[in-house]
Amino acid sequence: MIDFFINGQPVQAEDNQTVMQAAKANGFFIPYFCWHPQLSVPGNCRICMVEVETEAEGGGWLDIACNMPVTKGMRVLTDSDKVRARRKETLQFITLNHPVDCGICDKAGECTLQDYHYEYNGAPSISRDAKVHATKHFPLSERIVLDNERCILCSRCVRFTREISKSHALGVQSRGDHSLIRPVEDGAFEADPYSDNVVDICPVGALLSRQFLHKARVWYLKPTPSVCPGCERGCNVNIWHRKSEWKLKALDAKQNARIDRVTPLENPAVNGPWICNKGRDLARILERARAEQAMQKGRPVELQAAIDSARALIGTARQPVALVSSWGSNEELAAFHAALGQRFACYVKPDWLPVPGERLEDDLLIRPDKNPNRAAACALFPALPADVQSAFPPDTDLVLVWGEGFSFAQLPPTARIIYLNSYLQPENGHADVFLPISAQTERAGHYTNFQGVVSGFEACFAKKPGVADALALFAAIAAPAEGSKP
Amino acid sequence: MTGRKLLMTFPVTATSHLLADYRARGGYATLEKVLRQMRPEEVTKEVTTSGILGHGGAGFPAGRKWGVIKLNDGQPHYLCANADEGEPGTFKDRWILENAPHLLLESMLITAYALQVRNAFVYIRGEFDLPYRRLAAAVEEAYAAGWFGERILGTIFSCDIVIYRGAGSYVCGEASALITSIEGKKGYPRNRPPRLTVRGLYQRPTVINNVETLANVTGIVAHGAEAFRKVGTAKSPGTQLVSISGHVQRPGVYEVEYGYPLAKFIYEDCGGVLGGGKLKCIVPGGISTKVLTAAEIEPLTYDHASLAGAGSGVGSGGMVVIAEGTCMVRLLQILLRFYHHESCGQCTPCREGMGWMHRIIDRIVAGEGRPEDIEQLIRISKANDGTTICGMGDAAGYATVGIIAKYRDEFEYFIEHKRSRLDGRLEVAIP
Amino acid sequence: MKHLIAEFDAMRKRYPAGAESSLVLPCLRRIQEDRGFVADNDIAELTEYIGVPRIQIEEVLSHYTQFRRAPIGRWHVQACRNLSCSMRGAEGVIEQLSRKLGIAPGETTADGRFTLSTVECLGSCGTAPVVIVNDTYHENMSPARLDALIEGLPK
Repeated sequence: MIDFFINGQPVQAEDNQTVMQAAKANGFFIPYFCWHPQLSVPGNCRICMVEVETEAEGGGWLDIACNMPVTKGMRVLTDSDKVRARRKETLQFITLNHPVDCGICDKAGECTLQDYHYEYNGAPSISRDAKVHATKHFPLSERIVLDNERCILCSRCVRFTREISKSHALGVQSRGDHSLIRPVEDGAFEADPYSDNVVDICPVGALLSRQFLHKARVWYLKPTPSVCPGCERGCNVNIWHRKSEWKLKALDAKQNARIDRVTPLENPAVNGPWICNKGRDLARILERARAEQAMQKGRPVELQAAIDSARALIGTARQPVALVSSWGSNEELAAFHAALGQRFACYVKPDWLPVPGERLEDDLLIRPDKNPNRAAACALFPALPADVQSAFPPDTDLVLVWGEGFSFAQLPPTARIIYLNSYLQPENGHADVFLPISAQTERAGHYTNFQGVVSGFEACFAKKPGVADALALFAAIAAPAEGSKP
Repeated sequence: MTGRKLLMTFPVTATSHLLADYRARGGYATLEKVLRQMRPEEVTKEVTTSGILGHGGAGFPAGRKWGVIKLNDGQPHYLCANADEGEPGTFKDRWILENAPHLLLESMLITAYALQVRNAFVYIRGEFDLPYRRLAAAVEEAYAAGWFGERILGTIFSCDIVIYRGAGSYVCGEASALITSIEGKKGYPRNRPPRLTVRGLYQRPTVINNVETLANVTGIVAHGAEAFRKVGTAKSPGTQLVSISGHVQRPGVYEVEYGYPLAKFIYEDCGGVLGGGKLKCIVPGGISTKVLTAAEIEPLTYDHASLAGAGSGVGSGGMVVIAEGTCMVRLLQILLRFYHHESCGQCTPCREGMGWMHRIIDRIVAGEGRPEDIEQLIRISKANDGTTICGMGDAAGYATVGIIAKYRDEFEYFIEHKRSRLDGRLEVAIP
Repeated sequence: MKHLIAEFDAMRKRYPAGAESSLVLPCLRRIQEDRGFVADNDIAELTEYIGVPRIQIEEVLSHYTQFRRAPIGRWHVQACRNLSCSMRGAEGVIEQLSRKLGIAPGETTADGRFTLSTVECLGSCGTAPVVIVNDTYHENMSPARLDALIEGLPK
């Protein structure tokens, strides 16, 4: 450990830490654009310059904190007059050619440049010359649009593709103030399943997600912690949706219960600050058409009637088999185990298999099992065997299918079917009893990832009245029906 | 006679650059002595004691740079000769490459031996044609004669050399950009720490020296540090190859002993101002050094202390003579256009600042200057002083501030009257 | 590019082990020497040969002024526009070239013979004004010498 001083206060740094890292660890904030704790240090934005006091004539000298090794006894000032003056000058340069697009820029409200401008400068540009123009809408990929005028060439996006996703898909074309971020010409950026992380780490509104483009102002939205169900990594995410106080103002009721965007929620034990694009696209999974009506053999019935029928079937079954959802939360799985685990021969099924073209596995985040909670489920029940038919003894008379992804053609034709599912699917109508259940965004719970790390998700939206919570459902359908044998 | 000579010690003929001529002059005898009789640290000690300063522009003591290299540390070391020579006004390394390439090669071998370098590079700017061909031919001659390759002269010392051609980027003359270019990438300079002598080319300890600095090594080792120190001044031992151009009667490359009177050099040895006119000012050592007026150069001697004391510097040895009647506003426009063109674009102050200054001076020259432009140019220059990844931002600032400080009236006139007080003249009339 | 691979293999031998990335600039220069410019498929082939990320080659091509990805005129006339040359008549040289060839700097003649460029300091200030044609330096370019130079270039 190295003893030194920040703003007169004694602090400690670990060996080999830079002033930037040590300051952060000790709770001092030094502004930065190009520095990122997970990426290499380019030291190009120059906004992190701090003053180091010295007895020499002229007083302290200034240099960038992100590349400055901590030395014993050094006296660092992060907010002296010299530092403030330097920051103002640096911001003059950064905003020299930066278009004042705030009124139409998605980044407004979460823009580092906006924040620093208000915090450290507040002064208009001293230049009276026209700004240098560049490409406003460069199609970086189907998912991301690039505005080169807004770009401050911090190179975070380039370093991300070099060091984290390793697609080496972005680079800096040309030089000087003609420099432009550009994707490699063989389409590698389009194919990079982590591409959208550059939108998060871009400190300005240069890199924007097309699916979020002009959709909502961020100050109308709130992030709710959740877990991506896309694979067994269980990356922690924030699901952004309308703040409750802004719901009345929405023109369209659908906007009140919409996933506006998904961003990473940093968890050093699981995903760090990144997620893959599948997680960004969770709306595609979670906002499919919903099943909201209980049914018996396709005929709509009241939810309670369906529950009663299910209970009756379970009460009289002689050889019941259950296919357990690998999307069930820890709490739901425990409830299933408690209520129905003895009654049924249970097997864990994979609700989702990899789709064609989907990356199976890599060294970063993506895992081959595309279900969020196989670990917890398989701790309680055996997995469905590869020879699926062996799970159904010849006299199977009832199958409870929980969750999607299992073709009913594989079920014994003589068995009755109880089906629990969130989404509208043709199978729903073929089940003897169909019970619509809530989706992940409508409840709270936990998943256990493939390494045993438990992460929690909270509810974003209220479920519809005719939809049941699986958690409560298991106890309800397990209770012995009147007149049946236990 | 511009003092004693250490490099230009032989007549340049049609064959004086060839190996046979070089050998006849005693070439490669010093290398042989080094390999057979000296230990690497003894060579470094000789160079350090000589006190030789870098001839590329920074003037850093070469021996001190070499001294950072840890011998026997178990990792490869690299040596790069900086032959990028892109500083406007500078064409003196070219003299060595064209006329004494083997002197450079022998010196590099001696240096490689001292620093335990197995692979050496000469980074030569892509535009150089004859200098490259002469050097390349010399390398092949040297390989054929066994001066490069495995087990040179039967000793354990092996060394290979690569001539690495640049491709049009002034900033690759900066040491860290030079090695990034040798790594096959964009010529982006690097932040320090780490020093290049700790982590340089391919993250290994690397010494980068200017061609002229290296060319002196053979002489220092052959005749000893004390003999070297007898030439020049105490703080600036040795000589400088000065390339002089512009409004001068006899442009060319001269070897000037440090301490030689500057005015004498310009007026007598170089024939004074072209066409017999009056001197306005000079750029002493490449455009990144501050201009010195005719009056200011009178008491100066040509060495680091004297020129630094006058607020300028020896720099790269690229001297440009500017005659009375030259429009300094138009002159600055050429410099700012250059810096803007060459900025690598990495760091904020230079990337934005160079373009900004260029646009301001273009406006002034177009008759659209505004009163605040002069202060803005100064402010931008100051904001590039000590704030950038490499020295280019600072250099542009020094050039700008230096010219404005001494010729502010020309700028004020241009802005107020929307034209040059000197008709925008850059050339002089030659009677 | 394939016919150059033997040359590239020979070139590699003087580089230290692990320095394959260094081959980018010299290989590009050789490809351009051979073809006149660097074609798109050259980039793909060079990426495979050297084994660096393709983006590195694309960046290098766009950063250095001497590399080009499209053909230019048979004679690339490059006139220095920097300090000493300007003080010894470079502006006149550029204007004379532009008039004589009928194109502005940055352009190529319709018959594809000449491309005119202005460049920065070439390291030949003592013999200003200086012009490079393809690889060759032409120094002390008075108006008469300039005319003779252009007229003397083969079709």
